[in-house]
Amino acid sequence: MMSSPRNLEYEQLWLNAHTDTRAAVYTFSSCITLADLNADGDFKLVVADLGTGSTNVKLKVYKGTSLHSETALLDVPTGVTSFYMDLNEPRMPAIAVASGSNIYIYKNMRPYFKFSLPSMDINPLEKDLWMQVRDEQIEHGVFIELLNNLRAEIGFSQMSTQSQHLLTLDSSNTSSFVQQNCKFPVKRQTVVTCMTTLKKALAEETAVSCLVVGTESSEILVLDPEAFTILEKIKLSDEDSTTLAVPAVLSACGLHAVEFRIVAACRDGSLRLARRGWTETKTLVQLPAQPVAMTISPDNASITIALMNQTLQCYSKKGKLQWMINLPAAACALCPVPLPHQSATLVAVSLNGGLLQLYNGRQLVDVIKAPQSVSGLVFGRFGQEENALIMFTVDGSLLVKILKRTAHFNLNGGGNTASVAPGAAQQIKLQIPKKTRLFLDQTMRERDNCVMMHRTFQRDLFQLRVDVARACVKALQSCNNPVSLEGAEPLKLSAQVLGLGPLFKMVISLQNISASSMIQGLGILFHFDDKMYSMDKPFINVPLLVPGLEYPFETMIRNISELALSDQVRVLVVKDGQSQPVLAAIINMPVCDLLGMV
Amino acid sequence: MDLIFLALSLYKKRQFEECVKTCTELLDKNPFDQAVWVLKMKALTEQLYVDDLEAEEEGIAEAFMDNETIAESARPGTSLKNPGTSQGGSTQGYRPWTQTGRPVSGVVRPGTQTARPGTMEQALRTPRTSKTARPSTSQSARTIRLGTASMLSEPGGPFIQLSRINLGNYAAKPSLAKPLFLYILYHENSIRHALQLAVLATQACEFKDWWWKVQLGKCYYSLGLMREAEQQFRSALRQHQCIETFLRLGRVYIRLDQPLSALDVCRTGLEYFPKEITLLTEIARIFEGLNNMTMSVKYYREIVTEDSTNVEAIACIGMHHFYTDQPEMALRFYRRLLQMGLYNAELFNNLGLCCFYAQQYDMTLSCFQHALSLAKEDDVADIWYNIGLIAIGVGDTRLAGQCLRLAISADSSHAPAYNNLGVLELRRGRVNEARAFFQAAASLAPYLFEPYFNHAALSNKLGDLQASYIVIQKSLEAYPSHIPSQELLHALEKHFTFI
Repeated sequence: MMSSPRNLEYEQLWLNAHTDTRAAVYTFSSCITLADLNADGDFKLVVADLGTGSTNVKLKVYKGTSLHSETALLDVPTGVTSFYMDLNEPRMPAIAVASGSNIYIYKNMRPYFKFSLPSMDINPLEKDLWMQVRDEQIEHGVFIELLNNLRAEIGFSQMSTQSQHLLTLDSSNTSSFVQQNCKFPVKRQTVVTCMTTLKKALAEETAVSCLVVGTESSEILVLDPEAFTILEKIKLSDEDSTTLAVPAVLSACGLHAVEFRIVAACRDGSLRLARRGWTETKTLVQLPAQPVAMTISPDNASITIALMNQTLQCYSKKGKLQWMINLPAAACALCPVPLPHQSATLVAVSLNGGLLQLYNGRQLVDVIKAPQSVSGLVFGRFGQEENALIMFTVDGSLLVKILKRTAHFNLNGGGNTASVAPGAAQQIKLQIPKKTRLFLDQTMRERDNCVMMHRTFQRDLFQLRVDVARACVKALQSCNNPVSLEGAEPLKLSAQVLGLGPLFKMVISLQNISASSMIQGLGILFHFDDKMYSMDKPFINVPLLVPGLEYPFETMIRNISELALSDQVRVLVVKDGQSQPVLAAIINMPVCDLLGMV
Repeated sequence: MDLIFLALSLYKKRQFEECVKTCTELLDKNPFDQAVWVLKMKALTEQLYVDDLEAEEEGIAEAFMDNETIAESARPGTSLKNPGTSQGGSTQGYRPWTQTGRPVSGVVRPGTQTARPGTMEQALRTPRTSKTARPSTSQSARTIRLGTASMLSEPGGPFIQLSRINLGNYAAKPSLAKPLFLYILYHENSIRHALQLAVLATQACEFKDWWWKVQLGKCYYSLGLMREAEQQFRSALRQHQCIETFLRLGRVYIRLDQPLSALDVCRTGLEYFPKEITLLTEIARIFEGLNNMTMSVKYYREIVTEDSTNVEAIACIGMHHFYTDQPEMALRFYRRLLQMGLYNAELFNNLGLCCFYAQQYDMTLSCFQHALSLAKEDDVADIWYNIGLIAIGVGDTRLAGQCLRLAISADSSHAPAYNNLGVLELRRGRVNEARAFFQAAASLAPYLFEPYFNHAALSNKLGDLQASYIVIQKSLEAYPSHIPSQELLHALEKHFTFI
């Protein structure tokens, strides 16, 4: 009962600043950032558009509501972030785009620097094999076999990029691939999976930050912002287990020079912590499901994380579960919403279906509805506006909402709306219709004449069985069965007629319903009145039928009769060398609608 | 005998063909005899007159290319397009739905089987036989066949050449214009000419004749100009209250998908004509369309107290009782129909089902035997299907299987039969066959949730969780409040998110 007036209240907090349903930007939260690119106080929206996933990958900059600039990207990005890399005036932030094994740094939206992740050790045997194939000392076939042996020995993930690529190819493409690639040096490089920033020495908003990069080789690298040297290299391994975890989401807080915490939510569902001076991480907790998105509260370093099992969970910095709420739908994205004027940091969670919920701790304080599921979500300063919420939906539209300056979230209290009075479900009465007088009378009749009724019923039942058996035999003899009976070929036929006429399309689908045996040598024959209809293919050859799959066969059929009448068409499935059809069905053709003159 | 008198007498005796013949003879002698001309016109019209209110059917073109759509998602219970949203309505669990997501009705009338499909593809794909296909537009060849003779060539050319006639001359003469209008509308089915004549005639009588306004509205309605039609009907109603006008105005609102306005119109009509059967029937049908069965049945009961032989009302009340778990009451209503002289396969089929569920076993099978012997081609499948249900109830799965196969051989697109056959095969442990049957049922009838649910449950049992997950979502699309489907989906989701 509480929900409807509250909803009205929710709507008033946000203003619709901009809606562009044709923006066609497909992206995720990790690839969106807000930055004061020109140091003029006008914050731009920098977003990496994933395009179709292979083409149209672009870095787009929105100034206000219009697209300001576009830069093509070579590869699909995994993260975009803005950070200050030096102390030069004017204070212009750089944009870092992680893509493949490189991080591209843009300044003033011009390419500035490319950082490549250090290449990793290659198994000497593998290197040797590639050398030999380059010098044509071994055959390609032998080479691939040896590589396969090596894979079994050291594991696929320990091999070089080239070998990995080669081993996933079809046997037909391998030799050309080997020829093309054997000239290049063998490399083994990892890729960036996620990226975030960490302030270096000062906590100010425009202070210099380090990049924190998570890699596929289960490492977290902290990079120096000026020299791009690796300051810290932290292994995501555990002291008690040797398994490595690949980070999926990274969050950092603190200062690099003083004390910092980096939390990595890994693909195996573990939450791992790294601190200053550590070379290995420590597992905080094993999550019950895979992570979707995560944020660290700057106040008490508690971790709020959305999981794939439709829950939002909060852990203390020690990894103790503080609270857990069930979300009404699966979470798609999450972002922190810092509100300094209310000295609170909310968490916005976008849900599958387009709902966006804002939580203060475990308390739901606001709900926003988007037309589609929001895949990319970011909150911050956009243009001149302090508190803007930027949303990209799965269908590529861009929505910008501005928090009203007068908006005040009801952060304390509001009641727990989720609680339902216990036993409410038990108080719903089932609607069972009352037994009528008539029913009772009939029951009396039944009770009085039970023997007679039973005898009549049994007699009729026997009669019915005979009738049914006769009808079955008749159907069998006239082969009028779209599903084969026992003993015959296990086949099923269904037919559909599409179109308004006089030209119709007839779709016959055949399915082999046996467990394992193939059926071949079939044909489909149509039997119809040639004065009424003409058909493109009165006979269709059926290829070998594999069990379980449905094979559609199409033909056009035209009503050629002058009168607007319809007739039946018989479909017969015949087998080579059998005089009787296997299956047959009658199709009642539709009347064709000649469009009348109005 | 005077030939004109003979012709008039024949017309009164409703021997229209002879009347037309006599008139033609007279006209051959004197082509300018207006009285005979009008009589011939009337005779020709009467020959082909259809109750266009009853026979009306919305075509595919009207349903899809309608530019009057206002709200995409109407509030629950205010639209005929999504009857599932009404509160307190029946669900698929109790009462089977037709392919358009609408509970089955007690009687078959235009629109009960094929009203408002969800998508164009669904509309075109529906098992289109000569009995069930819907016309592509309401102005299609079917109405021409129903209502006009213009398709068949007449010896010596048509009676009136519409393109040559000067409509202005006739418009001013009401005695000529009205029969001519009806002739053009019903015999020639030329709405354009009819509209022209009606416009001229209303102008000639200075907008004072309500009859012309109704006719104008009729023309606008068939041309799809709903707002214009509404205006004409409303203006006609201000001058003169007539049952037909109320009904037609109601139809305008139904076409505009404003069933509540249509109900209002009918109720206003009832104030002028208390307890009028046609208006009550219209109200009951609208409530049925809105899936508000209790209200619908209330009005049908009112009809029965007025007219105790109204087949539609009795059948609908019977159906309602059957699906609200009171088969003994339904039995009584169907028996009433039988006493009234109705003698067809559908009735015996329903009687048989009622007897079975009301535990009057001695009559059950003899009813079905009767039904089978009376059945026409398109009913046989349903009767075999129902006998299959009885066989399942008795526990004779072999007999049930045979009956269901017979149902399929009679109608190869009988989806419920495929579904039940699938369940029987599953009980015998033949998984592949069962799955094939479920798939066939689902592809033939995507509006049924049972095949989807069965398929999903089977896939789940076999460990094909991905398939199960996809299929169960389709089941919930067809029947969102089906608890076992929801539970299965929940279990699957839990399974997928668990590490």
